[in-house]
Amino acid sequence: MKQKKDVQQGTLALMVLKTLDVLGPLHGYGIARRIEQISGDLLSVNQGTLYPVLLRLEQEGAVESDWGPSENNRRARFYRLTRVGRSLLEAERRDWEQTAAIIARFFEVKSEDLA
Amino acid sequence: MRALKRLLARIRNVAASRRGDERLREEMEAHLAMQSEENVRAGMAPAEARRQARLKFGAVEAVREEYHAEEGLPILESVAQDTRFSLRQMRRSPGFTLAVVLTLTLGIGATTAIFTLVYSTLLRSLPYPAADRIVAIHDTRISGQSTGGLMSVPRYFDVLARNRSFAAMGFFFFDQSTMIAGNRLPMAVQAAGTNAGFWDVLGARPMLGRTFDAQDDQPKMPETVVLSYSGWQKLFGGDQGVLHERITLDGAAATIIGVMPPSVDAPSGIDMWHTAQFPASGWNYRGEAVRFINVLARLRPGVTAAMAQSDLNRIGVQLQSQYPQTDGMWRFTSESLRDDRYGALRPALVALQLAAAVLLLIACVNVANLLLSRASARQREVAVRRALGASAGRIARQFLTESLVLAIVGGSAGLAAAWLLVHEAAAKLPGRLSAPGTVEMHWPVAALAAAVSILTGIVFGLVPAVESRRVELNTAMKRGEARVGGSGNRFRSALVAAQAGLCLVLLVGAALLGESLWRLVRSPLGFEPDHLLTFSVKLPWDAQNAAITNFYDAVQRRVEALPGVVAVGQISALPTRDWHLRSSFDADWLPRIPNQPAINAEDRSIAGNLLGAMRVPLLQGRTFTDADTRLQQSPVLVNQALAQRFLPGGNPVGRHLLAGGESHEIIGVIANIRGTAGALSNPIGPEVYWPADSPGASAQGRYFVVRTQLPPAALVRSIREQVHAVDSRQAIGDVATMDELLDQSVAQPRLNMAVVAAFAGIALLLACVGIYGVVAYFVAQRTQEIGVRMALGATRSQIAGLFLRRAMVPTVAGAAAGTGFALAAGRLLSSQLYGVQVDDPRIYAASALALLIPVLAAAMGAALRAARMNPLDALRIE
Repeated sequence: MKQKKDVQQGTLALMVLKTLDVLGPLHGYGIARRIEQISGDLLSVNQGTLYPVLLRLEQEGAVESDWGPSENNRRARFYRLTRVGRSLLEAERRDWEQTAAIIARFFEVKSEDLA
Repeated sequence: MRALKRLLARIRNVAASRRGDERLREEMEAHLAMQSEENVRAGMAPAEARRQARLKFGAVEAVREEYHAEEGLPILESVAQDTRFSLRQMRRSPGFTLAVVLTLTLGIGATTAIFTLVYSTLLRSLPYPAADRIVAIHDTRISGQSTGGLMSVPRYFDVLARNRSFAAMGFFFFDQSTMIAGNRLPMAVQAAGTNAGFWDVLGARPMLGRTFDAQDDQPKMPETVVLSYSGWQKLFGGDQGVLHERITLDGAAATIIGVMPPSVDAPSGIDMWHTAQFPASGWNYRGEAVRFINVLARLRPGVTAAMAQSDLNRIGVQLQSQYPQTDGMWRFTSESLRDDRYGALRPALVALQLAAAVLLLIACVNVANLLLSRASARQREVAVRRALGASAGRIARQFLTESLVLAIVGGSAGLAAAWLLVHEAAAKLPGRLSAPGTVEMHWPVAALAAAVSILTGIVFGLVPAVESRRVELNTAMKRGEARVGGSGNRFRSALVAAQAGLCLVLLVGAALLGESLWRLVRSPLGFEPDHLLTFSVKLPWDAQNAAITNFYDAVQRRVEALPGVVAVGQISALPTRDWHLRSSFDADWLPRIPNQPAINAEDRSIAGNLLGAMRVPLLQGRTFTDADTRLQQSPVLVNQALAQRFLPGGNPVGRHLLAGGESHEIIGVIANIRGTAGALSNPIGPEVYWPADSPGASAQGRYFVVRTQLPPAALVRSIREQVHAVDSRQAIGDVATMDELLDQSVAQPRLNMAVVAAFAGIALLLACVGIYGVVAYFVAQRTQEIGVRMALGATRSQIAGLFLRRAMVPTVAGAAAGTGFALAAGRLLSSQLYGVQVDDPRIYAASALALLIPVLAAAMGAALRAARMNPLDALRIE
């Protein structure tokens, strides 16, 4: 139960970093929208869970944030990827691809391959 | 790295009590607004748009919670919360809190106070640079009694010349001196003769001026003096201008060249050091009369204590073959300076520390018991909190925090109490413990007290914490059903047994020490100590025999003539003084073996009417007459121990002791005088008494013993006047009554006994309170059952017996186990005991009674309350 949440949080953090990497500085709502568009239902509900993740990334120094005007001239907090965040993203991406590749190979394997 | 960054950010947030609530609220507002606008653009009605936005956002409270958890240190916050809750709990039940805090104050206070003693003596480094490199070298007889480690001067110079282990060597000897400063009256001072090397060994810097150098220590150089801090204060009022002042010391001119800081206390309690000015060579006489120096040495770099000892062994063997007659029976031993000073105290201190630890354990058991009872009473609270979603761990943490808070409060109070006690009582401790700066509370002691508090908090807090996990929600929620299972009761019985056992250990210790002190004080001394005034007089060391005899004769006659004086005697050293002079003899009735004299005995010189003044019984023969002092080969008196050991059943009167080619006739046998060579508890060995005024005796320093009908203090002034009248350059020193000397001599055993007895008393009280509490708890728990039993015809005595058994079975079992522990622990005490065996069954029987009777009374009190219960009330309690 607890572990599943952690995995999701980790995934969410990776998505946040990638989104900021691709789109540049963005406010919380914008990040939520992009993730929703790309990942479908992962963030279609409970968008609020994004904010603790953003806070955590900021405390780790992966993102920086500041108040700024949104497209509709509304006050919003904009998040920006830092150098630390970029290298973190790079490391996480490598990890993730490696894990995904290993898992993929396990799924492809058939009983005759192991004989 | 990232985790660290996060932790730091969190700590910063907590420290600045920064809350992201506002920021989160604003961000959420913005988020919802943007989502709503989006929804409106997609064609929703504004109200619906806003509702959908909320739904999509999710549970705001949950997000806020998570956000908050990310932001701060949740554990820290719950600790703060628990602490606040604990303090509130403490305020709400002041009786319980007071009981716990007081119990802990006693336990931790006692442990801390005793540890202050242990740390000050056995652990703290001595106040000299690299003090662990300083060793004390003792001259030790290969068999039989030594002279307290004192070395003879020629042997010192032999070691100095032949050793390969020591960077510096020094010595000191005690010297009762008479000082005349300016135009003041002569004063008796405590001095120590030392050499220049002594200061190199200690490595201590003077506060003012300088110490002796090798030049000052040459024979026939002008005498120089270094004052101790206390001597400087006492004799010169702490005057800075004291340097270069010229004084007269034992009739010779001397110059004050320095003042030492208070920390330099080698040896302790002296007023000054003066140069010994011993020549390094030309010591043809190597006998017992020059065995009077205490030797210290500093190890050369790279040399260990063991290497130094084997070096000393080598020199010892060389000297044994070189001088078989004088050195054949002697070897060198060495120990660290700390052991030399405090080694004798170690067993007593270890025993006291153990006693304190046992008391602390009892206190912990008691507190655990109290907390357990309370935890039972709070089961419904626990059940409710569990039902509302608190995890078992969270509640256990709450209980642990509560006990920790109690422990810290109790520990602080204990530390404060110990500090006060040390502050007040340090100067009143026996022996060298009372020297200023010896026993003080230092940071490591306070740190230990803190550690012990926290540890005890954890230890006794774990019990209710573990118990709280056992709570069955279902039953506990139903009123009156909440019960810790039978295991809780077994645990309580175990606590009772532990308490009883530990308590018995302390009681046995107290009984052993008490009995030992009683025997020490009551066993016959060999003299009558009441109405005796004692004082010392010291003539210059170069005084001539005739002058010495005339002076002491005159003083003797004048003091005898004072009103109220019954008898006056003189002796070279008083009982209870740690003073040694021994000789070896052959006897004309024993076989003679070359270089192995048959008898080794303590020597004392006496004059005047010593036996009459002290009322020492003369068992056989006669005492000295004036005619005896004129004989070239003095006759001697011996004590009963010598006669019994070397001539059992025979009469030594008329036989002879042989030494150095002389023959000394034994003219009488006197009773054994206890404490002749130090502590009263020392076994009594052979002793030989010489006439102090015989030719060649040269007894410059003597103690007077005056038996008086008046209060002894009333005589002091007139005695001082009489001595001054005989010789205006002389003073009297060491004025004390014999009762005072005996009192000082038993101060350490008395302290041991008092401390352990106090601990045992407290422990007994705690045990009674604890056991009463347990029985009362059982009674409260089984009120209904009592009602039913009574209704079914149980008598009151049966009911009382039921609970009495519950208390007494574990108590007796615990006491039995405690007896085993006490037997083992008693061995630690054996070196502290006098005239009582560690396994004396009477001691154990008495201690068991002392434990069982009050405990029985306490348990009876609680059990009778159960028996007096009205069965109707008991049944109606539900």
